[in-house]
Amino acid sequence: MPQFFLNKRLIILLVSIIILVALIGFSLSGRSKLTWPEQFIKDTTGWVQTAVSRPTHYIVGFFGNLKDLQNTYTENKELKSRLDELARLESELQMVKKDNTELREILDKKDALSAFEPKQATVIGRNPDKWTELLIINKGTNNGIVNNMPVITANGLIGKVKNSNPFTSTVQLLSSMDPTNRISAEIQSENESVFGFIEGYDNEKGLLMMKRIPSDVKVEKDQTVISSGKGGVFPKGLLIGKVVEVVPAEYGLTQTAYVEPGAKFHDIEHVMVVKRSSIQPELQDMIDDQEEEL
Amino acid sequence: MRKFLLPPLIVLFFIMESLFVEFVPPTVFAGNYILVPHFLISVILLLTIYGPKNYGVLYGFLFGLIFDIVYTEIIGIYLLLFPLVAYICYRLMKILQNNMIIAVLISIVGIALLELGAYEMNVLINRTNMSFTIFSADRLLPTLIMNFAFIVIVVYPLKKHFEKLVLSLDS
Repeated sequence: MPQFFLNKRLIILLVSIIILVALIGFSLSGRSKLTWPEQFIKDTTGWVQTAVSRPTHYIVGFFGNLKDLQNTYTENKELKSRLDELARLESELQMVKKDNTELREILDKKDALSAFEPKQATVIGRNPDKWTELLIINKGTNNGIVNNMPVITANGLIGKVKNSNPFTSTVQLLSSMDPTNRISAEIQSENESVFGFIEGYDNEKGLLMMKRIPSDVKVEKDQTVISSGKGGVFPKGLLIGKVVEVVPAEYGLTQTAYVEPGAKFHDIEHVMVVKRSSIQPELQDMIDDQEEEL
Repeated sequence: MRKFLLPPLIVLFFIMESLFVEFVPPTVFAGNYILVPHFLISVILLLTIYGPKNYGVLYGFLFGLIFDIVYTEIIGIYLLLFPLVAYICYRLMKILQNNMIIAVLISIVGIALLELGAYEMNVLINRTNMSFTIFSADRLLPTLIMNFAFIVIVVYPLKKHFEKLVLSLDS
């Protein structure tokens, strides 16, 4: 009965395509939490990954150290020349810091948008299919990590926590294309800061795109871009990068700035997950307040 | 004994993919090429060709599911593509004669199918805006060359291993 088998195969194919569409739709539906079997599998593989990646990191690190040793002489020379400048800067920073705390005390202002506590984490895996750029780190909800927290390296912002499981979490890098990946950012300038959103990444140029900058402001090259802290989850002042180029956007109503990211998006080993310490008012409280006023 | 060694072996290649992208910088070769390691599917395809019947499709399904949950977080893409590619290669090997060069070429064809399928699906769900010409020049071709090198290295030891596995299951 070859006809029957052909039909059977066709039915299997059709049913599996229906299941596939349902599953993809389910995973893209913007769910805030993974189901428990997924969390369990992720944590289990995370444990195996840690066991394998620790020794690998160690070996790769050893060869990296050997390479560093060769450059030590020239680096040392250059660093020494910058040391004097550093001492001056440090004393200045001390003064400014002291000033700042005193002024804050006078104003009775306790928390700032820029206050945060970093949590150390190690990268144990990365998505090999390079369509979505995801990292797996070895800290999870048991260490106080929740979704949407920003993730930084020493050189700047790299992404945010996409999903957190009890022992591991996934970090979505800024370079991955996702329409929901949007960060409120600020271009620092002498007079007045310029605000916009980091939305999207230009793969060919390797630059981030900062969109929705008003068309009447002038943005210059080499200005620093930081997170603005207006979005609610991200604290203020996390370094994102430097402006490379400014072009008018599609309809000429806004401008788009190309930003060179401060942090590298590959070869990441240690990251910090940032917990914003300034208190965020609950939405419900704000609504209640308004009612009282009325 | 060999039967129980198979899952850890495949898990090893599963983790190797992630370690590869973690440590090999994208600029390791000149140009803007995207190199995607497909070690896991290579091993699954060799298992389909040389291993016991249906093992390839079964492991493709299982590791496709784990791959989607752990790495891509979009369940369905590799869950379908891994067993499908394994099944196509299984059918192709039935038609063609079984020698090592043919096996390597069939595995490369399988990886190309996988890449194309994953590209089409990612375009469909709007996760990429890469055009097909850029995809084929910057991603597909370098990826196939790199995985060809990988398969050439592992094909002989894995062939020996899987053939012994078939024998141990028969006896």
